[in-house]
Amino acid sequence: MQRKLTATLVIGSFALVSAAQAQAVDTSEWVCEYCPFEEGHRADYAAGATNVDEDSAYFGNATGYDEEGTYANIDGDGTYAGAQTRLRWHAEDLGLDSRVVELDGRLPGSLDFNLGYRELPWRQFNTTATIFEQSSDGSLSLPSGWVRAPLTSGMTALDSSLVASNIESDRSIFDLGASFSASDNWRFSMDYRRQDQDGSKIVGGSSFNQASLLPMPFDYVTDEIDIAVRYGAGNGFVALGWYLSDFSNDNAALTWEQPFSFDPLIGNDTFAIAQAPSSQFQQVSVQAGYSFVEQKTVVSFSAAIGDIDQDSSLLPYTVTDSITTSPLPRTRLDGSVDTTNFALAVTSRAIDKGRIKFSYRYDERDNQTSQDLWNRVIVDTFATTDVEANIPYSFERSSLSLSADYDLLDTVRVSGGYDRKDIDRDFQEVAEQTEDTGWGRLRWQPTSALEMDIRGGASERDIDRYNEVFAVSVGQNPLLRKYNLAYRYRQFGDISLSLSGEEVSVTLNALYADDEYTDSEVGITSGEELRIAADLNWAMSENASLYLTAGFEDIESEQVGSEAFSAPDWSATHDDDFTTVGMGFRLRNIAEKVDVQMDYMRSDGASEIIVDSANDGLSEFPELESVLDYLRFRLSYRQSERLELNLNLLYQRFEAENWSLEGVTPAAIPEVLSLGARPYDDEVFMIGVGFMYRAGADTE
Amino acid sequence: MKMLLQAASLAALLIAAMPSATAQDADYTRKGADTCLSCHEDEVTLAVFRGKHAVPSDSRGPFGHGQLQCEACHGPGGAHAGRVRRGQERPPVILFGSDSATPIDEQNGMCLDCHESDVGFSWHSGAHPSDEVACADCHDSHVARDAVLQTATQPDVCFDCHQIQRTETRKAFAHPIMEGKMDCVGCHSMHSDTVATQLARGNVNDTCQQCHAEKRGPFLWEHAPVSEDCGLCHAPHGSNHAGMLTKRAPLLCQSCHSQSGHPSIPQDADGLAAGAPSRFLLGQSCLNCHSQVHGSNHPSGSKLMR
Repeated sequence: MQRKLTATLVIGSFALVSAAQAQAVDTSEWVCEYCPFEEGHRADYAAGATNVDEDSAYFGNATGYDEEGTYANIDGDGTYAGAQTRLRWHAEDLGLDSRVVELDGRLPGSLDFNLGYRELPWRQFNTTATIFEQSSDGSLSLPSGWVRAPLTSGMTALDSSLVASNIESDRSIFDLGASFSASDNWRFSMDYRRQDQDGSKIVGGSSFNQASLLPMPFDYVTDEIDIAVRYGAGNGFVALGWYLSDFSNDNAALTWEQPFSFDPLIGNDTFAIAQAPSSQFQQVSVQAGYSFVEQKTVVSFSAAIGDIDQDSSLLPYTVTDSITTSPLPRTRLDGSVDTTNFALAVTSRAIDKGRIKFSYRYDERDNQTSQDLWNRVIVDTFATTDVEANIPYSFERSSLSLSADYDLLDTVRVSGGYDRKDIDRDFQEVAEQTEDTGWGRLRWQPTSALEMDIRGGASERDIDRYNEVFAVSVGQNPLLRKYNLAYRYRQFGDISLSLSGEEVSVTLNALYADDEYTDSEVGITSGEELRIAADLNWAMSENASLYLTAGFEDIESEQVGSEAFSAPDWSATHDDDFTTVGMGFRLRNIAEKVDVQMDYMRSDGASEIIVDSANDGLSEFPELESVLDYLRFRLSYRQSERLELNLNLLYQRFEAENWSLEGVTPAAIPEVLSLGARPYDDEVFMIGVGFMYRAGADTE
Repeated sequence: MKMLLQAASLAALLIAAMPSATAQDADYTRKGADTCLSCHEDEVTLAVFRGKHAVPSDSRGPFGHGQLQCEACHGPGGAHAGRVRRGQERPPVILFGSDSATPIDEQNGMCLDCHESDVGFSWHSGAHPSDEVACADCHDSHVARDAVLQTATQPDVCFDCHQIQRTETRKAFAHPIMEGKMDCVGCHSMHSDTVATQLARGNVNDTCQQCHAEKRGPFLWEHAPVSEDCGLCHAPHGSNHAGMLTKRAPLLCQSCHSQSGHPSIPQDADGLAAGAPSRFLLGQSCLNCHSQVHGSNHPSGSKLMR
């Protein structure tokens, strides 16, 4: 009853302000006779063929060009404008595993809708091979004639049993959305999305002292529904929403036969690992905003409460029949997480030449899953008498931000701000954590063509205390400070520069951050990052343009460990560098028939790792390097106003030096039977020819 | 739910109590768009008729019955279209884009007059208006298809300003943005600032789990940083490392795991394939055995090995 009363109050309040604004302009003679409104169909249809000269998982990822051969390409864009109906459609890559079809429009009665279907191929490795044979139920079994051994070197049937097994999956996404405006004030919207993903991924399946990398088959379905009703009147609005995300996975477990020799005392050779459980997330939300026009102040507010439920059946402690286990404390998790999000923002320009902003956010994850004591069986092999309680992690985060801008001069704006973040956590080493940040900013715009922006600041993340007793209880070195829980002092700055002329524009962005974890004796002790990016665009003429892009990043961290489980006795440096350059040009209307486009990009990633240990001395890893070259050339020839012929050439090369895969054949690691994935070394040349036909309304 | 309804009712009452804006008299042209098109018949101007804004059957659109046509966005053009003395500058109308003489707040105000319901009021407190970003810096209403509303072309629009993010997406391991198969709005809501970094949903994890719902749990055995923030281990714009990890395992794992035994032992280059191949270093590194790093629902999975 109270809920009905509240709803009535809401709707009744809206009715008070639903009077439409009258237009004071007489438009009775505005007949728009010169307006070339769209009528009927208009569409661009494109078709062609593309040949790819090599198999490549890297370049086939997301694009669908993963195998050597010729692909048919069909694309198109079109519109239909009727008296009361307007439709638009888009089709892309219909001949590929990355196809897209979209339709949207407006139907009579102010009903907007959209329909979409897209596929997204994920191609990780095409150099992998496995001995496992997949059964119809998804379990993995050994091939006939398999010879078990305690180490991979003794698996005499390995080479003859390996079968190529790509690690890849396909995701399809179906979208349906609609919105309806019942009046100038009311708007209803609904969006539905289904994502279906199936394929294989690499999962490590461990046994006693050994592991097998498994090509785990999976089949996930995620349904999302988002429904909202919004009311707006005058200078304000309020909206209510409901969101559902339902994740479904029918495969509770992956079972596999152990390829290593098993302990005869155990007497079992089949193990199991849990797959991701089905779950459901529901959320109701309210949003509101109001603009106080005279006070030049806008207030916006949002709040949402949600619930994540997961109640999949639990697997047994072990699939090893010979191990006697105690009964499970419960057969389903009955897991539940309550979520709360809240945000309030106020922006005011009440002060002449100034702006003040205030915002507050609150985000809570409250894991209500009950705790029990569980009696673990270690890797389906060893029963233990120890019991462990599951830990339902919860946290509360809040963030307060206050900032002000002031136009000191017509060309200079100064800004300053203060941010405060608080995080409270359960069941972790740090219960309360705060971070205070102060920053200042100067923006200088002497002319409309030049703008420079400099910002700098510092933040201090502090904790109430690092609970070493708790850390020790979970086996951690008491000197460790986990980097997300540790005291940290950060200094940061960024600069942006923009110079824009009639023909040439140049922009530069750079940011720098330096982190010191001064209380961390073990763990990450420092971090530093520098990121720079720049563009140059040159419009040489109406039909010719050129661009240059460049980017550089250096991300470095230092960490310390203790092999002796006491004082620090080793350290490591992890340094990621990345450089990218791009350039290209466009030439249009050459002889009023030809357009030419060329793009080139080179990206070079390099990572250095150095470990210095008291026991083994200085050890420098081979550089991890990945180099991507990309060169694309497009030529379009307009045969007529309706027909265009196209030529596409694309060269791509990706070469990686990766010591974690280099030389790691399936038997390279004595205790790990791997899939033998090799570092990427892909070089692909693509050539495509096709045409585009413009149909429908007359071309200009 | 009750709390939310009460909050909504309070908001509604607040709205009801406030005066609404009134239409202002102004000097409009005599014939609307026909007046404008008598001079502005260039390709760019006429392209508006290919898009959503110039649909006569859309009663709410600028060209719907009784609406203000060109002047719905460009403001009253009576003075602009009227006679001026020789040498006198023609009074301007509202023009769009950062290089326009029209103040950006005024430009954006014209758009928000109709699109407030699309972008919400939280636009005002976001980073974009603070940085004086005009709606027209990202959107183009005089085209058949606005580039920023198309998946394949949207990132280039965003990268005009967010060049550092563009650099990151060019790294060896990134979401398929460079391939034109994913856009920025998949994760970001650039019109809203009621969540940090303008995310599509309430926080980082809720945003990631739109597509990666299998990592949502709750699991029987959770991994604390996974429950809290995907960004503690992953760099969502791109990384030199597979899985878009912030650094290479085992060092990433050893940032937080120091337990006696193998977690605390440094793995050096002696463990590479050409030396004494180490199960703690090669292949999936720690994940060779602890593969369930996102959480395990197995009763024996407390060490994330099941």
